[in-house]
Amino acid sequence: MPRIITCFKWVVDQADIRVVPGTDELSLDRVGYRISEYDRNCLEEGARLKEQYGGEVVGLTVGIPGAKKSIKDALSRGPEKAYFVTDPSFSNLEPGQTAAIMAAAISSQIEYDLIICGEGSGDLYAQQVGPRLAEMLGIPCAVFVNKIEIKEKEAIVECKVEDGVEVLALPLPALITVLPDINTPRVPGLKDTLAAGKKPVEEITLQDLNKSFDPYLETLNVRATSMERTCEKMDAGSEGIAKMVAVLTKAGVIS
Amino acid sequence: MAGVWILADNHDQILELLAAGRSLADDIGMGLHLLLWDREEKSGEYFSYGADEIILLPALADGQPLSVYIPLIAEEAAREKPEVFLIGGSNRCKELAARIATRLETGLCSECTAFHFNQDLKRLEMERMIYGGVGVQTVASTSKPQMATIPPRTFSPGSPLEGREGKTREITGALETPVRVLEKKAKSKEQVNIREAKVVVCVGRGLENEEDLQLARELAEVLGGEVACTRPIAEELHWLPEETYIGLSGQVIKPHLYIGIGVSGQIQHTVGIRDAKTVIAINRDENAAIFEVADYGIIGDLYEVVPQLTRAIKEKVKS
Amino acid sequence: MIFKLTEEQELIVANMREFAQKYVDPIAVEIDEESRHPAEVMEKLAEDGWMGMPYPAEYGGAGLDFLTYAMVIEELSRSCAATGFTVSCHTGLGAGPIFEYGTEEQKQKYLIPLCKGEKLGGFALTEPGAGTDVAAGSTTAVLDGDEYVLNGTKTFISNGPVGDIFIVVAITDKELSAPKGMSAFIVTKDNPGFRVGEIFKKMGIRSSQTSEIILKDCRVPKEDLLGKVGQGFRIAMQSLDNGRIGVASQALGIAQASLDESIKYSKERIQFNKPIARNQAIQWMIADMVTDIAAARFLTYNAAYLKDQGLPYSKEASMAKLFTAETAMRHSSKAVQIHGGYGYIKGFKVERLMRDAKITEIYEGTSEAQRMVIAANVLR
Repeated sequence: MPRIITCFKWVVDQADIRVVPGTDELSLDRVGYRISEYDRNCLEEGARLKEQYGGEVVGLTVGIPGAKKSIKDALSRGPEKAYFVTDPSFSNLEPGQTAAIMAAAISSQIEYDLIICGEGSGDLYAQQVGPRLAEMLGIPCAVFVNKIEIKEKEAIVECKVEDGVEVLALPLPALITVLPDINTPRVPGLKDTLAAGKKPVEEITLQDLNKSFDPYLETLNVRATSMERTCEKMDAGSEGIAKMVAVLTKAGVIS
Repeated sequence: MAGVWILADNHDQILELLAAGRSLADDIGMGLHLLLWDREEKSGEYFSYGADEIILLPALADGQPLSVYIPLIAEEAAREKPEVFLIGGSNRCKELAARIATRLETGLCSECTAFHFNQDLKRLEMERMIYGGVGVQTVASTSKPQMATIPPRTFSPGSPLEGREGKTREITGALETPVRVLEKKAKSKEQVNIREAKVVVCVGRGLENEEDLQLARELAEVLGGEVACTRPIAEELHWLPEETYIGLSGQVIKPHLYIGIGVSGQIQHTVGIRDAKTVIAINRDENAAIFEVADYGIIGDLYEVVPQLTRAIKEKVKS
Repeated sequence: MIFKLTEEQELIVANMREFAQKYVDPIAVEIDEESRHPAEVMEKLAEDGWMGMPYPAEYGGAGLDFLTYAMVIEELSRSCAATGFTVSCHTGLGAGPIFEYGTEEQKQKYLIPLCKGEKLGGFALTEPGAGTDVAAGSTTAVLDGDEYVLNGTKTFISNGPVGDIFIVVAITDKELSAPKGMSAFIVTKDNPGFRVGEIFKKMGIRSSQTSEIILKDCRVPKEDLLGKVGQGFRIAMQSLDNGRIGVASQALGIAQASLDESIKYSKERIQFNKPIARNQAIQWMIADMVTDIAAARFLTYNAAYLKDQGLPYSKEASMAKLFTAETAMRHSSKAVQIHGGYGYIKGFKVERLMRDAKITEIYEGTSEAQRMVIAANVLR
């Protein structure tokens, strides 16, 4: 009956990010926010494990007070309770800070056997918070996992590595980061959403943690990626095909 | 003693990091140190590629994961205080990097695609992609070592300097971890190497059936290329092996020619073809984002265009 | 904005969006072309709790206010107006009268399976000779022992061929002037003498199933009389008020989708080396769309809000239905115009939106009937 913490992050919807015309600046003025795509797999895995093994699942997020909007959404996807660690200063946290804040919050009041994180976050995609958090809590960790089984006091996981799959046994408590292909997140039903509104939310403030969290990484600037090419469009008829063959010949790929 | 440290879990990446690390070490005016656990006698080669010192770690016991080295490496780094620590961007090494950085209470630039040593501020300024490839973030570490993980093939290996020498130092210590490796399942070697291919034909969601991959294969064959795909084709549909998907979280390729067929061109994918010399797109949606990053495009149904194109190339080759 | 969505409403609407994108969008073109009832989507809607939204949990519903319900219908209709209507017809017209007028026994027996989505509901009022003029109906119900015997033909009945439970209005007393002589009944497809007649092929909302219902000596236990004898006309009128908010929401979804498609297309379509969105002609069309849709939304939400407050909303429901339907029609047509030739081609969403929009000006009271109701409310 594992006690599981599923972690999620409220991130900008990158589809809404615009490049300021004529510059290499990004405009985040009109962006929406959502639960990071990768964390939906994390929440789903928590829910799935609970269905399979029983126990309990809670959700944990760190963010500015505005990130509170993520909580009901997350709660409609599985956890029975949410912990919201928040402070107005928690904007643009770097992964080292996020992990430290989470570690402090967990140590202060959350009991667990298993912590699940997404493979990375939808905004920074640094893939650090999971392993950093494990290290801070002093628990074993497995990353890039696409299968989890729980046996007695161990998690048996399959980690994707470059040359195949590594099957690891981790004694619990442990932390696992999961890949998107571990599951297909469900669409919460109306009843899940309504039930989410009634689930408890524990707010943990910076004062409660009684610590400061300094960044290890400083962002010097953020620019738009530039990769535009001038596309010469050709039609799908024989003329276009002939032109394309000429292009390929010129590129030296047809000899 | 300071210096630039590097660590990677495969030979190719070690050579890439040696090249990047060597020029950085020269910029800073320090030595280049390679952490190694592989007992095979490659040290000579690594010295010729630029390492000044090899720090040899104890061998792994059976069933021990790579992460067992974390305490040992962190202790050694705490003692030796390297200025910069570059780590290969494999899945295992990314875990190592994050956990070592935590132990050393320092920052880590994940998936660093470029860096530059700022001589005035004496700091390493590192670039990485954010927002799924929409943005490039430049970061600097506020403490040391300044750490980064480097995706494979970000840097090209340098040329060996025959006769260049260095020294090897072994470090010892107990290797203990509660984690056991139960099994290693090697990937079935399908011998697809899209990273080395000069021509890559990439299929996307526009392809309706798995059998239709044949269209892409035929086109790739006449061009002497390989077939690759977008993430959903490999990860959701499993039509092609995972190592053939291109994009931010998959392969980053630099071929002479990339042809995307039925590829919509989401940024997460197109960041993987940024360095392709020529990009061609075939898509029936004239508004598909792929056309924005293509040099040439055919607006049309791939089921009509691709066979025609394949035929036309065959004829051209014959003539 | 007066109607600032609560966090819960935002989340519910977002969930319906996610649902519609995952389950409805992929089949919307196909079910339209084939006029197919999307049974698989209905099953999923039921499973996820969307089939009894505005009714209390004790009857298997979700206990939402009517305003949130209206928002969900809008959101579902934005993907497929036919599916949106199937749900609103079931909820507002099928389950609604039982919730409002049913006895506890009737609620237990009929409302619960409807709310759970185990059964699909419908409403059988219109007859070949009685459209807007409801009182001209000729279907009769005669008490014979413990059962009423119904005879007549109902036409244009939404959910007819796929529904399980219908509210049927029939004349129980020919002597009284028509409205007072009408009564409502709960009739199931299993009642002897119940038959689905002709299934109609429609211009739009093609996956919503519409047919005749033929009642030939159809026997209905007298416990299934809904409300009191002689209350039929009132039940029908009140259900239509309620249903009109559903149609307004559906029309709003169509209008919103027309706007969504127009914005997307006009920014991407390049003519004369620039996106057509840079042309003032297109900009004005889009500005008018946005404005009308905002007004339509206010009217619709206002009607739903009044209903939630227990205040009279008949006139407001008619105003909402009238204005959103005409907005949907006008602007889906503009959306086709913006798309040019492509807009006229099957498979482009705006083509479907324009066909779907037309019905909203017709059913559950034509635009003319709405004007009658509105005028009657202010000229009395």
